Amino acid sequence: MIKKLYYFAVLGLLAFSVTRATAQSVPSFDKYHTNDEVQQIMKKLAGSSGTKLHTITTSPGDKPVTVLEIGANLKDVPAIFMGANFEGDNPLSTEGALYFAQMLLDSTNYTKNVKWFIMPQPNPDAAAGFFASVKYGATVNSYEINNDADDAVNEDGFDDLNGDGLITKMRVKDLQGTYILSEKDERILTRAKKDKRGIYKIYDEGLDNDGDGQYNEDGEGGINVGINFPHLFPKGKKEAGLFPGQAPEVYGIMRFIYDHPEIAMVYTLGNSGFCSVPPKGGRKGGANMESIKIPSRYAKRFGVDASKKYTMDEVIEMMKDIVPAGMEVTPSMVASFLSLGAVVNPLDADMKFYKSYSEDFKKYLEKKSFNTERLDPARAKDGSFELWAYYHLGVPSFSMNLFTVPKVKEEKKKDGDALSMDDVKKMSTEDFTALGESKIDTFLRANNAPEKMDAKRVLKMLDSGKFTPEKLVSMMKKMPKAEKEDELSEKDKALLAWSDKYWEGKGFVKWEKAEHPTLGAVEIGGFVPYLETTPKPELIDSLAKTQLPWLLQLSTKLPAISFNSEKFTELGDGVFKLEMYIENNGKLAYPIAMGQRNGQPAPIIIVLDGEMEFLQGKKRTSLGSLNGNQIKKLTWIIQAIKGQEISAKIESAVFTDVVKQIKIGG
Amino acid sequence: MKRYILFILLFAIVFAGNATDNKAKIEVPLRFDRYYSYDEVVEALQVLHAAYPEFTTLDSIGKSEEGRAIYALTINNPKTGDVLSKPGVYVDGNIHGNEIQAGEVCLYYANMLLTKYGENEKITKAVDKNAHYIVPVVNVDGRYHFFKDGNTSSSNRGLRVPRDDDHDGLFDEDGPDDLDGDGNICQMRIKDEHGNYKIDPEDKRLLVRVKPGEKGEYSILGYEGIDNDGDGKFNEDSEGYLDPNRNWGYNWMPPYIQRGAGNFPLSGTGIKAVHEFMASHPNIIIGYAFHNTGGMWLRVPAEKSTEIPRTDIAAYDIIGNEAIKITPGYVYMPAYDLYPTYGDSDSHMFFIHGAYSFVGELFMRSAQETYKVKKKGETTAPSNSREEQNRERLKFNDNVALGELYKDWKPFTHPVYGEIEIGGWVKMSSRLPHTFMLPELVHRNAAVVLLSDEQTPELTIEVFDVKEIGKNLSQVRVRIENKKGLSSMTAQAFKDKLYQRDGLKVEGGKVVAGGKLSDIRLNKVSYKENKPEVQFFAMPGNSRVEYQFLIEGKGEITFNYESQKAKNVTTSVKL
Repeated sequence: MIKKLYYFAVLGLLAFSVTRATAQSVPSFDKYHTNDEVQQIMKKLAGSSGTKLHTITTSPGDKPVTVLEIGANLKDVPAIFMGANFEGDNPLSTEGALYFAQMLLDSTNYTKNVKWFIMPQPNPDAAAGFFASVKYGATVNSYEINNDADDAVNEDGFDDLNGDGLITKMRVKDLQGTYILSEKDERILTRAKKDKRGIYKIYDEGLDNDGDGQYNEDGEGGINVGINFPHLFPKGKKEAGLFPGQAPEVYGIMRFIYDHPEIAMVYTLGNSGFCSVPPKGGRKGGANMESIKIPSRYAKRFGVDASKKYTMDEVIEMMKDIVPAGMEVTPSMVASFLSLGAVVNPLDADMKFYKSYSEDFKKYLEKKSFNTERLDPARAKDGSFELWAYYHLGVPSFSMNLFTVPKVKEEKKKDGDALSMDDVKKMSTEDFTALGESKIDTFLRANNAPEKMDAKRVLKMLDSGKFTPEKLVSMMKKMPKAEKEDELSEKDKALLAWSDKYWEGKGFVKWEKAEHPTLGAVEIGGFVPYLETTPKPELIDSLAKTQLPWLLQLSTKLPAISFNSEKFTELGDGVFKLEMYIENNGKLAYPIAMGQRNGQPAPIIIVLDGEMEFLQGKKRTSLGSLNGNQIKKLTWIIQAIKGQEISAKIESAVFTDVVKQIKIGG
Repeated sequence: MKRYILFILLFAIVFAGNATDNKAKIEVPLRFDRYYSYDEVVEALQVLHAAYPEFTTLDSIGKSEEGRAIYALTINNPKTGDVLSKPGVYVDGNIHGNEIQAGEVCLYYANMLLTKYGENEKITKAVDKNAHYIVPVVNVDGRYHFFKDGNTSSSNRGLRVPRDDDHDGLFDEDGPDDLDGDGNICQMRIKDEHGNYKIDPEDKRLLVRVKPGEKGEYSILGYEGIDNDGDGKFNEDSEGYLDPNRNWGYNWMPPYIQRGAGNFPLSGTGIKAVHEFMASHPNIIIGYAFHNTGGMWLRVPAEKSTEIPRTDIAAYDIIGNEAIKITPGYVYMPAYDLYPTYGDSDSHMFFIHGAYSFVGELFMRSAQETYKVKKKGETTAPSNSREEQNRERLKFNDNVALGELYKDWKPFTHPVYGEIEIGGWVKMSSRLPHTFMLPELVHRNAAVVLLSDEQTPELTIEVFDVKEIGKNLSQVRVRIENKKGLSSMTAQAFKDKLYQRDGLKVEGGKVVAGGKLSDIRLNKVSYKENKPEVQFFAMPGNSRVEYQFLIEGKGEITFNYESQKAKNVTTSVKL
C-alpha cells in the first residue's frame, strides 16, 4: 500500500537529505518537519545573535515545548507571542512559525522596538501523528485517559484495516442505517431524509478491540492542547481534559506568558483566521451590560432598589459617588465591581479594529494575487489559545490559517446566465438596478434566496440608498440556505475537487470492500486525514511568503506611548500647574477594550521625580487607557523652584520606558 | 452547659501534667490548649510520625511560593491492607493563611487516631478501615506570616504571589504596618470634633456613630498603617491577593469575574502540589477542607448553574445532617447558598477527584460573647444588636478571655496624622477561639470526620444461589451489599466517566450471559449484550444488588467487585 502513502513524504525525505548534504544554515521549507527536526531548527535559529531559546515544559509524551525569543533588545521592549499548531493537526502552521522566525532573523526591520516569542510546536505529541505510520489527524497529547471508563486504558483505538496507513471511514449496509449514497457523487454519504429509509451506517475505520460493542471509543491519549485553555473551557468534553491547564503543555504556556507581562499582542497560526474573518460574536449567556441588577449589598450603599434593573449609564452615575473625585468610571469598572460575569463576545470597540484589519488583509492578499476564494477558516474553538489570549490576557489576538481548500467556482446555472454572488458583490447600486427585475429575480432564485425576497422588494430596499448590492450579498450569505434535496455541502464539493485535481484523486480513499470481523462486509474509504489543512510541501514556501508578512505589518500597529509636550502655568509664589500631553502613536489602543474590562494588561504609569511638592496629583499617576493615535492630558499642581529640572518617566512593564527632563516653568 | 464544663475539666486534667507554659515541648500526645506556628506544626507532625512510625508516613508534597514545605501525614495500618486499597479520607486546613485553627483540627484528628488506637473501639475501627491523609496547613506561607507579622484576624489569607492591587505598576508595596510593633494590626482613630463617632457611654473603648446634628469626638482612620507608596491611600496594596481557594481547576474563572482567582488555574505552586497529591491517591472518597468562620458545613455545588445527582446529595445529607448535631449552631447547606464561588476546593475535589467534599467553616463569633441571661419564661435569649454584641464581646474578653483579645487604645504619633490612638481587636480574636475553647472545637470537628470514616463504603459479596440449568451450564447468583452511607463511586463520577467505573468481574469460566437481577422471584434479568463477564456499576450507600450469570464449564469461578475507592471484595464458587 506504499502507493497510497503521501508521496510528499518521500519527496520530503529526499529534500531533507539534500539540505543536510549542502549544510545550509537556513532551514529549508520544502518538507514538513518532524518533532525532532523542529527542535533542531529551533536550536539552529537560536544560534543567531539576539535570540534566546526557552524550554517551557515537556509533554506527557516526553517531548519538549520550546519558545524562541527574538529581538535586537530582549529587555524593556514590548513583545509579540506567536504560537502555532495547538491542535497538532496543522503541520503547515508549525512550518509557518519557523518560517516566520527565519523572516525575523533575516531582517532587522521588525525586531528593533519589539521582540518576539515564537512557539512552533505546543502540542508535539499530537503533531507526531502526522508522521506516524498510521495517520488519523491526531489532536490529543499522550496524557493517559481512560475514555470509556472500563477496565483498560487506550485499548480500543482506530485500526488500519486496509493497511493504507490512513484511518478513513467504514460504511456498512445495515437495516437500521441512516445514510444513503449521494446522487451527486457516490463517494459521499448523506443522511436519509425523514420519510426515507437509510441504507448505511458509518464508522471510523477500526475494530471493537475490547469487545464492548463500541468501535474506537478508547484510543491513545489524551488532551487536546488546543482546547484546554480557560476561556469558555468546554467542560464535559473528554478531549478537553477535566479542567483548563490540565495538559502540562497548557499549564506551562500559561505560566510562561504570565511571567512575561511585556507581551502586548498574540498571534496564532492554525485553523482559525481572525486576520481574515473577525472573531464571531452573538453568543448568549455573557454579562448583560445594559440591564443590570445591583446586588443588595451595594444597593444599600447606592441608595437604590435591589430588585430593579438599571442601564449602564445609570450605574456609572451611581458609582461616581463612591469613587475618588476625578476618577473616570468606565463600563469595565462597573462590570468588574458588580461581578457582572464573563465576557463571551468581542467588545464593540475591539471589533472595529478586527473588521478594519480584515478588510486591509483582503486587499493585501489581492495585491499579491493570492486566491482568496477559499473555504472559510474554522471558527476558533471554545477553550482555544486565541480566544484565551483575547479574553483573559486582554491583548489583540490575531489568528491566521495559512491554508484552506479553494472553493469550487459556482457553475453558471442552467436557468439563464445568472450572476454569481461574487459578481453582484462588486456591482454598484446603479449597475445592479440597471439589470432589470427579471435578471435580478434569476440571480436571487439561482442563489437560493428565500421566496419572499424578490426583485421588487430588493429594488425598493436599494431605493432607500442605505442598501447596496454588497449588503444584499452578505445578507444572502447569512441566510439559511433553502435546503435542496441531496445537495453536496460546499465543503464536500471543495474537498472532492481538491482531491481530484490537486492530489490526482489521492485525497479520497476509494471505497473498497473488506471483510470486518464483527461488522461483516464493509467498505473502507473516505477523505484522507489532513486533506483539509495540509497541502503538498512544495506549497509551504509560497503560502508562507505571501501571507506571513501581513503579521509583520500588523506588528507596527502596536501602541507606542510617548511624551508629546508639556505646559507650565505659574499660579504664583513657586506654584505651578503642570499639564503633560501623552500620546499614543500606534494604531491600537492601550489597553484594548477587553484589556480595560479585565484589568489584566499592566498599567502605564507617569512618574514625576525631582525636588517638588505635590499640591495636587501624585508622584505616580496611572495613564489609564489611551486609544490609538490619541493624546491624553494629565495635570499636576506642584510647588518647586523655577528653572530647576525634574524628570518625567513613562513607566510600564510592557513598553520601553521613556524619560524626559523638564525645566520647571518651561 | 454542664457537659461543656465537664469537658473543659477533663481536658484540664488530661493536660495538667505538662501544661506548664505555652512554650512547652511538643510531644505526644499533642496539646490543644495552644496554637502551633508553622514550624511547630511541622515539629508536631514529626513527633507524631516518630511515635508511630509503623502507622504513619510523613511526606513533603510540594513547596510554597516562598519555598516552605507542605506536609501530608498519612495514617494507615499496614496490617489491614495496603494504603491505596482502602477508602481514603482526606483532611486539610488553613488554605487561608489566617484560618489557623483549621490546622489544629487536622493535628487533633491525627493525634486522636494515633493516641487512641487500640484503646477506643471507634478509633481502632477507623484506623484499621481507612487510609487517612492529613494536610494540616495548605497555605504554609500564610500561616508562617500570620504568626510572625503584624496582622488583623483577616489578613494574610492569600498566597505569596505578588499582585498589583491598586494598578500603579508596583506590587504589594502598601500593606498595613504594625506601627506599635505589638504583632497586631489594630485600628487607628483620631480625636476629631467633626468626626462621625463618639465614645460609647456604656464602654469607653467602643465608638458609636453620632446622631445627625450631634457633635462628634472621633474619626476612624482604618487599619494600622502608613501610606507606604505616597499615593494618598493607606494599605491598599498588601501581599497578594491570590485567594488559594479560588485557584482550583474545576469551574475556574479569571480574576475579573472571580476576585482572587489568580492568573490561571492551579497557578499557586502549593495548590498544584495538593491537587497532584489527591490525584496520586485515587482512593480518596471523602475530603474535608477546614476554614473559619461562621459555623457551617458546606457541600457542592458552589455555584447555582451546576447541578449534582440526587443520590450524591443523599449521601452528603447522611453526614451533613449529623454533623450539625455534633457541632452546635452550625448549619449544613450547599456552598452556593453562602455565595457563589468559582475555582473552590470542594468543587475540585468532587468533580475532578470524584470525592465527596465538605468545607468546614469553624467557629462562630457569637461563641465569644458573654451569655445573655434568659428572662423568666423565655426559652431563648433575644439576640443582641450589633452595638450590644460588641459590648458583650468586650465583656467576654474582660471576664472570660483574660483580656487577651482586645488592646486598649493607646496614643501614638503617626507620621502623617500626628497624634492618634491605636487599639481594638487583636489578630488572635474574632475568627479564632480563645485557646481555652480550642480543645472542644477541634474535638467536635474531628468527631465529624470520624463519623464520615464510619460512613465510607463497606462492601460484602456472596454467591447465594447456584443452579444447574444445562449439561455444562450453571446459573449463578451473586449479591453485593454496601452497608454504609457513602457510595463506592459518586453518581457524578460514574456519569462523567471520571475514572474506571466500579464493577463486578467474573473469572474462571465462560460467561454466556450476565446482568442485573431486578426481581429475584420473577427472575427478571437485564442481560448485558457485550462482555457479560464484566459489569460496571457503583454501589450506592446502604444498597444491595443481585446479579445473575449463566456460566459454561466447571471449576472454580471467582467474582471480584473492584472499586477505585471502596475496598475490593471477592468470592468464589465451585461449579
